[in-house]
Amino acid sequence: MAGGRLGENIGMREELIKKASSLAMKAHRSPGKPFLSEKSRGSPEIIIAFPGSWSVGDWFSGRSFGETKVDNLFPSVRSIGNDEVGLANEAFIRRFKEILRSLENEVKKAERRQIIFAGHSSGGPIAILATLWFLEESLKPNSSPIPPLCVTFGSPLTGDRMFPHALRRESWAHYFIHFVMKYDIVPRIMLSPFSSIERELATILSFFNPKSANFEQQSIGRDNMTLNFFMIVMRNASSLASHAACNLMGCTNLLLETVTNFIELSPYRPFGTYIFCTRNGELVVVKNPDAVLQLLFYCLQLSSEAEDKALVAYTSLQEHLVYERELQESLEMQNVVYLDLLEELPLSSDVSSSINRALNELGLSTRARLCLRCCWREYKTGCEVRQIGYYDAFKLQKEDRDFHANVARLELAGMWDEIIEMLRRYELPDGFECRKEWIKLGTNYRRLVEPLDIANYYRHLKNEDTGPYLIKGRPKRYKYTQKWREHAERLSIGSGSESCFWAEVEELRTSNNGSFDAMEDRILQFEQRVYRWVSAQELGKDVFLDEATFMKWWKKNLPSQHREASCLKKFIGG
Amino acid sequence: MEPEASSFESGEMLATFLASTPLLRESWKLCDHANTAAPRSYVTNRIGEVTYVAFSGVQMISGLESNCGNLKPLVDCDAKGFFRALHRHGEGDQEPVKVHNGLLHLFLHYVIENPNFYNQMCEIRQKSKSIVFTGHSIGGTIASLSALWLLCDHHSFPSTPSVLCITFGSPLLGNESLSRAILQERWAGNFFHVVAKNDIVPRLLFSPQALITPQLHSLLHFWHLFMTSPYLKDPGVDVPENIITELFHAVLFCAEEMAKTREGSAGSLFWPFGNYMFCTDEGAVCVDNTMAVLKLLHLMFAMGSARSSIEDHLKYESYVWEVSEQISQRRGHMQMHGELPESSYEAGITLALQSSGISTHDPISGSVKDCLKMARQMGRTPNLNSANLAIGLSKITPLRAQIEWYKALCDECDDQLGYYDTFKLRGASKRDSKVNMNRIKLARFWDDLIQMLESNQLPHDFLKREKWVNASQFYKLLVEPLDIAEYYRSGMHRSKGHYLKHGRERRYEIFDRWWKERRVGEEENKKRSKFASLTQDSCFWARVEEARESLDKVRSESDATKLCALWENIDAFEKYARTMVERKEVSRDVVAKNSSYSSWAEEWSVLKSQLKQFPSQCSGFLNGEVVP
Repeated sequence: MAGGRLGENIGMREELIKKASSLAMKAHRSPGKPFLSEKSRGSPEIIIAFPGSWSVGDWFSGRSFGETKVDNLFPSVRSIGNDEVGLANEAFIRRFKEILRSLENEVKKAERRQIIFAGHSSGGPIAILATLWFLEESLKPNSSPIPPLCVTFGSPLTGDRMFPHALRRESWAHYFIHFVMKYDIVPRIMLSPFSSIERELATILSFFNPKSANFEQQSIGRDNMTLNFFMIVMRNASSLASHAACNLMGCTNLLLETVTNFIELSPYRPFGTYIFCTRNGELVVVKNPDAVLQLLFYCLQLSSEAEDKALVAYTSLQEHLVYERELQESLEMQNVVYLDLLEELPLSSDVSSSINRALNELGLSTRARLCLRCCWREYKTGCEVRQIGYYDAFKLQKEDRDFHANVARLELAGMWDEIIEMLRRYELPDGFECRKEWIKLGTNYRRLVEPLDIANYYRHLKNEDTGPYLIKGRPKRYKYTQKWREHAERLSIGSGSESCFWAEVEELRTSNNGSFDAMEDRILQFEQRVYRWVSAQELGKDVFLDEATFMKWWKKNLPSQHREASCLKKFIGG
Repeated sequence: MEPEASSFESGEMLATFLASTPLLRESWKLCDHANTAAPRSYVTNRIGEVTYVAFSGVQMISGLESNCGNLKPLVDCDAKGFFRALHRHGEGDQEPVKVHNGLLHLFLHYVIENPNFYNQMCEIRQKSKSIVFTGHSIGGTIASLSALWLLCDHHSFPSTPSVLCITFGSPLLGNESLSRAILQERWAGNFFHVVAKNDIVPRLLFSPQALITPQLHSLLHFWHLFMTSPYLKDPGVDVPENIITELFHAVLFCAEEMAKTREGSAGSLFWPFGNYMFCTDEGAVCVDNTMAVLKLLHLMFAMGSARSSIEDHLKYESYVWEVSEQISQRRGHMQMHGELPESSYEAGITLALQSSGISTHDPISGSVKDCLKMARQMGRTPNLNSANLAIGLSKITPLRAQIEWYKALCDECDDQLGYYDTFKLRGASKRDSKVNMNRIKLARFWDDLIQMLESNQLPHDFLKREKWVNASQFYKLLVEPLDIAEYYRSGMHRSKGHYLKHGRERRYEIFDRWWKERRVGEEENKKRSKFASLTQDSCFWARVEEARESLDKVRSESDATKLCALWENIDAFEKYARTMVERKEVSRDVVAKNSSYSSWAEEWSVLKSQLKQFPSQCSGFLNGEVVP
């Protein structure tokens, strides 16, 4: 396994982590301000730390898991082809929006310094959202800021599976660093539906609130209610982890799907780099989000029936408040283990190695280790795509009008469909839709083959069976590959549809009996698009040949007045 | 690429998942309540979006008694058609679907004679998002039948809730055909039987009824007493030791025999279906392969004693509590002196063995391991399977394209016969036999696909993919006319009966269902401006053939009532065909000048005009009246 000091590996100096944890705890103790910032003279960084909040309404809004769509605030948190928008905790988003104005001013003051966003407990989600906002801002033209860092301590989960997906795709995941104590209950809270913990949550949160009379009170920690809370959270964590594990293990039993209609599973997922810390100074670094999810559950398990459950439950509250002190020591000791090669994880706990020491320290049984092993899957699937020979098959040589070219076209369509299907289920590496070679391949394929499909569609009058090609008939393989390119080149959505040129012509030709007046706007817009495509050489000039359907229609149906003024005039001879 | 099996054992993980959900605990809680508070009846409880319906384990004792304990064909007993979707399974030379007669009557007693029950079920179906049927002991079989009823009745309600059936120590219900039918309908995931390791009841029906009836009576009495009064420490009655021992050995013997049976050879014996979760003190494993279930039912039973086989039936409370507690503990610490295999799969099996309460030194551990491995998903992982099918589909598409060309050629040909008739009257030309070969190859591809789907080798959501539903529909529209042509060409209709009733391949019925169940958007029903490229009813030609036959018969028939029936058939077909043609839902081969349809229509109009001149007893028809 990869080694090295923690700081070098995760890209954040130990001394900076310590400073951030101190400032985060300071913010925790002074909840009045929107955030604290610290810049030491001459230091190249500035730390901004956000305080947590302890009212139940600031954790969960509404029923269920309190999630909402992130929408336009974080445009990158979506999948490209599937066009699925990410979900995040509504209460956290609301709190972030409240401080956004003053944060903007603070960020402006940072000038050429790297910004470290930090947060403890429910300050963590604010730091996460702030970092994400900062990264989205940096995509805008004319900005080349220094990439930020986000470091959280015992943060609750914030976003759904779209977060790990989109962040890895954009190569942003490594900017997020999360420290989690082995037993800390807070990072697990969001795995339970609100209704199941409604009764206990307010009291549990008051245990963490420095201003509350319950702050760090043993009477709370030792209470039966705490044990109850701990068991509920653990059970829900187990549901989610075992459900994920079943899927990763390739379980096809239909029961798995049926049961998910009967229960509520949390949408939240971890992302970024997680560092699990034990009281003995062990630091376990995990970057695979699936593995983090498994660890969030398995670390909570009791060592035996005899172990005092109530004590563990109490510990699960206490450990939420020990980050500053524990990290000072652990970072000195540097007992760091990196869980990278999950597939080769030792299953038995009695082999002596540094990795086994750490796994034993986290209390991972053989069963837990198996669950970590199966998280390796994702990369394997990526390879399989290549083994089947997809990629080579795509190297379409030339366009050939004979039967065999048609067969090749059909075979390729089958393979593309399968790739799209895998994307739809997030089974390919997250960065797949951003890979240059695939975007290029997809675009070439689309420009070459889609016109043939359109011709076929209208020749068989499928527009009368199913509806217009663009609305009803367009295969996903073209929609997806178009969106890839639009995302990569930051084009506006829908503007890269040059391969649908012929479908638009067919629709213009057949709608409204071809009368010009009714469609003037539509035609003008279309011509402008065609102008742009042809100028950028995305569309061949052969569309202007006299014999082509487009020209026939253009010359026959459009009034000469319009034709004279058209922007396409310069391409059309005569 | 070598066929590669999943590299993990997921049966135990699935059991862990189920144990961590509230479903198991809530179900048992309500079953227990039903046992004590509602003997011979049921209770319901709604938690959030889920409604639980629990049937008491205390039911009319006659249910398990000998005189009605035989397997009876479902078709014969189900006059009201509660399980209509199952009737068509096991038609032809297959063994029909059979269920336990007494248990079926218990269920019918609820739905037919208890209007409250029926109405309440309808209400739940409308109001709940999902519904769990559950029951302890005999109550479990009523829960299974109720779930089956709702699944069969899927289409008569606009929005149907998801259905799950969880039983605790339920006896077996039906034969192998039932089990296969449930697999083919893809309902196996809706049934979930919790079985305590030594419980005798799930194994009871392996043995012929006559053998055990006398003992059973006193035993049922004993169990019922315990179920209704759980706090009774010493009920004052007990079953004599010799009775218990006798029963145990009888059942053990039969279970052993059953474990040796092979698939497809147990026509008239009871057979498990759905998922089984075997509970022991050490944990639980979930198994869905029926052969593995059969073997495990025997192996785990054999480990117990006569006494424990009786007592385990009453221990579900502690088993359920145990498995849901176990998730909070770190189990499976394997420090067995290097006994732990390094492969993920083997290690998973070892853990599952541990959860089955069997140590690796136990003599039967080898056989149990084999069972667990049998349950593994053989072949490639589902996703790879479907990737390969996609490639397979694209490879056979040229075959389909050739048939399309053939059709275009036939339709344009000078003889004006059209696609259907050209193929029906084909000679021995190379082209014709090529098309016939393609037809056979395509059928093989789709049959294989259905087979993979039914044996769970494809992803869950396979049928939600438009691509496959569309491709199967297109295939059906294009090729089924050829199958019909072949059927009538080779005279099969004379030996077997007409195509529609007796000759239609199962795949087409399945494709019909897929097409019907697909997500339909707001389809605007625009008029066609030309004939469709393919006739939209793939059985059109079969109907033509039947109408032709009717027309022939009309000429020779003299019996008035029979003649009327023939007239009616012809008339109905004519109306149907006319609308199809008017709406241009047929392809042009139908209206080709010399097609069977055109010639039929011509003959029919000639006959009609003849009849107009000589009004017969059926003249009412011609004036538009329908003679009853």
